[in-house]
Amino acid sequence: MTSSLTARSWLARLARAERKSLGLAVVAGLVVGLMTILQMATLAWLVSALVIDAVRPASLLPGFALLAVAMVLRALAQWWQENAGIQASLRVRAEARRVLLDHLQSLGPVGLTGHHTASLANRVVDQVEALDGYVARFLPQMRLAVLVPLVILGVVLTLDWLAALFMLLAAPLIPLFMALVGMGAERLNREQFETVSRLSRHFIDRVRGITTLQLFGVGRQATEEVHAAADAYRVRSMRTLRIAFLSSAVLEFFAAVAIAVVAMYVGFGLLGYISFGPADQLTLFSGLLVLLLAPEFFQPLRSLSQHYHDRAAALGAAEGMVELLNEGSPRQGHVPSVPRGKGLVELDAACVRHGERGQVLGPLDLTLEAGEVLGISGPSGVGKSTLLQLLAGFVEPSAGEHRAVPGLRLAWMDQRPLLVHGSLADNLRLAAPQSSDAALRDALQRVGLGDLLTALPAGLETPLGERGVGLSGGQAQRLALARIFLSEAPVVLLDEPTASLDADSEARVLAAFSALIEQGRTLVIASHRAAPLALASRRLTLQEQGGHGDE
Amino acid sequence: MNETGVITTLRPWLRHLARRRGRLAIGALLMLLALMAALGLLALSGWFITATGLTGLALAAGAAVTLDVYVPGGGIRAFALTRTLARYGERLYNHDTVLRLLADLRGHLFSVLAALDLASLSRRRASDWLNRLTADIDSLDSLFLRLLAPALVALVAILALSGFVALWAPLAGGSVALVLGVAWVWLTFGQARWGMAASRRRVTELERLRGRVIEHLTGMAELETFGALAEQRQRLDAIEARLREDQRQLGRIAALGLSLGGLMVGLAWLLAFWVGATLWEAERLSGPVLVMIPLAIMALNEAVMALPMAFTQFGATLAAAERLNALEAARVAPGDLATRRLPTAGPLSLQLDRVSLRYPGALKAALADVSLTLAVGERVALCGPSGSGKSSLAALVARQLRPDSGALYLGGCAVEHLDEEALRRRLAVLTQDTELFDDSLAANLWLGDPQASEAALWQRLDDVELGDWARELPHGLATRVGEGGRRLSGGQARRVALARLMLRDPGLVLLDEPFNGLDAPLARRLAARLDQWLEGRSVIVFSHHHEPEAQPLPGVNRRVTLPDQG
Repeated sequence: MTSSLTARSWLARLARAERKSLGLAVVAGLVVGLMTILQMATLAWLVSALVIDAVRPASLLPGFALLAVAMVLRALAQWWQENAGIQASLRVRAEARRVLLDHLQSLGPVGLTGHHTASLANRVVDQVEALDGYVARFLPQMRLAVLVPLVILGVVLTLDWLAALFMLLAAPLIPLFMALVGMGAERLNREQFETVSRLSRHFIDRVRGITTLQLFGVGRQATEEVHAAADAYRVRSMRTLRIAFLSSAVLEFFAAVAIAVVAMYVGFGLLGYISFGPADQLTLFSGLLVLLLAPEFFQPLRSLSQHYHDRAAALGAAEGMVELLNEGSPRQGHVPSVPRGKGLVELDAACVRHGERGQVLGPLDLTLEAGEVLGISGPSGVGKSTLLQLLAGFVEPSAGEHRAVPGLRLAWMDQRPLLVHGSLADNLRLAAPQSSDAALRDALQRVGLGDLLTALPAGLETPLGERGVGLSGGQAQRLALARIFLSEAPVVLLDEPTASLDADSEARVLAAFSALIEQGRTLVIASHRAAPLALASRRLTLQEQGGHGDE
Repeated sequence: MNETGVITTLRPWLRHLARRRGRLAIGALLMLLALMAALGLLALSGWFITATGLTGLALAAGAAVTLDVYVPGGGIRAFALTRTLARYGERLYNHDTVLRLLADLRGHLFSVLAALDLASLSRRRASDWLNRLTADIDSLDSLFLRLLAPALVALVAILALSGFVALWAPLAGGSVALVLGVAWVWLTFGQARWGMAASRRRVTELERLRGRVIEHLTGMAELETFGALAEQRQRLDAIEARLREDQRQLGRIAALGLSLGGLMVGLAWLLAFWVGATLWEAERLSGPVLVMIPLAIMALNEAVMALPMAFTQFGATLAAAERLNALEAARVAPGDLATRRLPTAGPLSLQLDRVSLRYPGALKAALADVSLTLAVGERVALCGPSGSGKSSLAALVARQLRPDSGALYLGGCAVEHLDEEALRRRLAVLTQDTELFDDSLAANLWLGDPQASEAALWQRLDDVELGDWARELPHGLATRVGEGGRRLSGGQARRVALARLMLRDPGLVLLDEPFNGLDAPLARRLAARLDQWLEGRSVIVFSHHHEPEAQPLPGVNRRVTLPDQG
């Protein structure tokens, strides 16, 4: 991922991969335009034949049939255009999501700290959705807004060069309109977006504190305030809208005036009131066709202006994504070398540095032997968690070396164990997908959740998480431990595993740790509490400025 | 879902719209005016050209015919101008209406939320839920502009135009009404019905995807070490694939509606033109009118094309309405008996009589048969580990939750019979989490006492030792504290919450870990000042510390321990 990725270049890159579908959409859109011209020409010809040449309608049936065929073809082409756009948009969104998730995975747990998870999820889910209109409609329409008017101009030129001149005079105005519309829409969108998000923030802020408002008995005042804030924003945004809507009004005005001017010119020309230029060669056929094509000349541009907010929305969304993609990962995918001694993991003068915080750990030498229990203590902020992250491979040493037995499997637990949306069994099988139900029961028994399991009517199939059974903090922690029992990973890394538990829950969790130790696993426990550290067979006390002491 | 179900779901929201019916009617009329002007412009221009063409030929043939060019010319200019102005006016006016509706809906929904009990609220306070809530309001807010108004305007235009055409050619008028009537029904009801399942599902799938992504990110450390990332990612991809399938289907449905709409309008003018041509042959229709009719119908394209996209997504609007309706149904109406007043000054007693509470879905009761008596003016420390139900107890006293069994008496009166205003004025609760609002320091303090003078605010800030800090701020009391008080440190926010509490004059005070996040010497100093303020009030202090000396609690006479329920 290049570091200079911008919102525009990211969107362009995504669109480039779909240029085939998008090209198809443009071709189909062009066919729609051509079929429209064919319809108009046929209509004008039929009118002329009926009215001027007094041909009987029955003998004009082929003409009417041609009209019907053009209509059906136009509908088919439109369907084709829409579908090609949707295809491109779906694939672009899938690709954007894939790249984002891959990048988030490469950032890893350490790279993700400092991000608000809900806002990351919002980028991966909702902001990616915001690319839809831009890819499916705006991009094809941008080409069509140039191509279709050009074709129409060509047709009109063969009919009446003066009428074509009207349009040609309007043609250089088209880029001007586009800029005008763009400026208007972009400003409109920015301001609207800003207004709406400020309003939403205000609303969310008040809802978040609603229990406090209830306690202070000011629910009604707050309601009025919410209404007043929304109304104040209305007054403010109407001021912007008044200007912003002008740009589309200008476009509307030109489209309307074009029809009016052409109608007058053709009308007076047919009456013979215009004695200059090609007006005396006008016929009802050519005059009517020019009139019918005048609105079509402006139509693609009007569609484009309708889709302009899609572009602004996509650019806004892309900015959020690009910001994320430009973030460097704390690891470059380097594989730890083989330990020199008989330890499972070795650190050799290893240092870790985090961008703005400078060196947060090291230089540190450490050998982790099989079967030992290493307790890590030290004041907060001294790098206990960083050391565990280094051992886990979530971050790479900025200097020194990290060596580990090839293929060494690890297990991790911190204060906030993961509960996935699914059954109790799903949650346990995260660590060992092949485990039998008996093994799951056994693991729950070991961590003291056997009673809970028997209390649950649905047993292992009890749904957990949202709308499911709510587990207490201690229970969730022990569930995570049960996963570790199932995983059979020889090294278990525990980051402040009991920090959020009260004394009783802590005791139960510690009993489970002891069971793990009895199985001969290697534990690394980082904690500021005395009780978990008491299990350690060896202690490492980290001190400020990277010093450390073995005990 | 059947038709009546849809109407029942939308009824409360339609009623909201109905309050602005004058504005809605004007907005819809402006839309209609813009459409009619566009229609008139094209139709009259076609008529004019044909009329001049015929007159021109007659003149060339030497006939003495005249054509009034000024009336149609003026008409064309008027239509062109009207179309532009009406379109501009319509957009402006309708956006104003939509923003007014937004204010109405936000206000209404907030009042609904303010009446929810704590259990329903706490389940719903995650920020992604709030984002969805605002999105739901937005989608109902545009119910009028996206769905109702365009559909209504299109229908009126179709009927009016059919009637107009029927003046000259009844058969043509009838066929236009038939073809476009069928098209209208299809593009509104048909599209809505066809897209219903997928568009409703799409919202839930998006929700599910968001949930999975959050799991994926928060649990990455565990997933990565267990080597379960790839498997979890597959589940995520499966949800995404389903979502994509729904979107593809919705896109196809909308595209078909769009193509069909265009085709039907085309068919309508083709039919009318054919009928017109036969009438012209029979000399029952003039040439200019023959041209005018198809051109007018052609202009309807604009009105019809807006329908399929919006109506295909109708299910999403309906789902939004359902979610908000469910919220409304969870509202706790205050009982009719809640009229009892409390003495306006002096300390209040509190009595809990065998109170039990169990949250829906919880394995164990949060409180089981808890009894407690607090005499007038007494100070009690309530201890217990986290999860023993201290916060639930506070919420019960504050009537933010109802007990499953047992009763609570405040000042000798059952809590559920207390007048809302009296309860709020005489009971003060300092919650464990500090909640400040994205407003000025003063506005946050005024929550405690809206009538307090600035001097009183400064006094309380001095009490919590924030006075000097606040005086140094460039904007003083007008300083904004940021979202949730985030511009303040945790300790400062706690002290602002204490100052806000001390602006009140309650008879019973519930303090949940009052000095949470403050260092010990500061906590001791604040405790002394809090002690003064607590004089003449009954107090319960919640603490999860077992050791009495761990937290300096102001003058507590008694200690009660809640058993662990976890």
